Amino acid sequence: MRRQRRVPPSLTARTDLTPTLESVVAEVRSHHPDADAGLLERAHAEASVWHAGQRRRSGDPYLTHCLAVAAIVAEARMPSPVVCAALLHDVEDTACPPQRIADQLGQEVADLIAAVRTAEVSAYPRAGRGTTLASDAIGPSWETAVLAIRLADRLHNMRTIAFVAQTKQLLKARETLDVFAPAASAAGLEAVGRELQDLASAVLRPAASSYAVTGRLLAVLTLLLPSRQRARWQEEWTADLATLTTRRARTRFTLHVLFGAPRLSTTLRRPFRRERR
Amino acid sequence: MGMPRMTLQTQLVLRALLEDPARQRYGLELCELAGLPSGTIYPILARLEQVGWLESSWEDPAVHEAEGRPRRRFYGITQDGAEEAREALARTYRSRKQSLPGWVSANPATGGGAS
Repeated sequence: MRRQRRVPPSLTARTDLTPTLESVVAEVRSHHPDADAGLLERAHAEASVWHAGQRRRSGDPYLTHCLAVAAIVAEARMPSPVVCAALLHDVEDTACPPQRIADQLGQEVADLIAAVRTAEVSAYPRAGRGTTLASDAIGPSWETAVLAIRLADRLHNMRTIAFVAQTKQLLKARETLDVFAPAASAAGLEAVGRELQDLASAVLRPAASSYAVTGRLLAVLTLLLPSRQRARWQEEWTADLATLTTRRARTRFTLHVLFGAPRLSTTLRRPFRRERR
Repeated sequence: MGMPRMTLQTQLVLRALLEDPARQRYGLELCELAGLPSGTIYPILARLEQVGWLESSWEDPAVHEAEGRPRRRFYGITQDGAEEAREALARTYRSRKQSLPGWVSANPATGGGAS
């Protein structure tokens, strides 16, 4: 998917801000003076090997994403194994043999990477409520470490969301606002939570500016519904949408319909029968 | 006849409809009356229609053409629906009351003033 495309190297200003291995190591060291720099260097080497040739939608080498996520995790005061897992959080999508990371960097890093892929961010606030980020001496809980990587991944994706299709931008922004930002605050990662919220709101606000987008999005939404029902709901929604006078209200309406659509879909598909108690 | 699950949101929609059972309303209007977002209201309306408590129909062409806008889908509560809804609402209310342990409401005369 994100594999080699013939795109010239990115000319965005962001490129200059991309963290380097050195800056990540320095950040980890500033919180954990005796951190194992060798481990971080090996993780970086693995990431550059396995992601070689891959590019982001922005045209940047994929490795920039790995480093950016690692830098965010390091700023959240996570210890080096967690930062290594951040560097390699997408390595399972590459040709890297399954056992290799455990062999090269230890079981903890490998387990973290596996956990990040299956983590349910929405489950976090309840499970983690009341816990704050542990001190540097004790270290974060396993759940917080896993969550930090997931959140950092989302944060960097939100920073570079301009390169993603608009419909997907809206979906991601909404999810970020509803699930990721609250989870970040619940985990004590306030700075990450605030930035996620700002980035997501910025995506949702300008989208409000066009009626065409909301109308088109509604049409796309009906694809979630059983085919025989689509026309009816599209017409009904269009009429209700037309009742709203401000762009902001129309966008809010559409986004709420968007998030209710899966439920509507299951309701419509459910056979007519008594509810189980 | 099935029974919809009496979630808080479903109760709000039913209460809004029962305020004036003879009146037909469209989805967005019910959002405002019930104070619920659009994404919540449509699945509930679909479900209530499935179990026969509501009926929906397109707006009279004369009206929306005169106003120059797309036709709306109107929902009205059926006679059976109104009865069953009232009963169901009363039931959820009663069951909530009964779920309190006996001693809480044992003496409403003295318990009422607690705040």
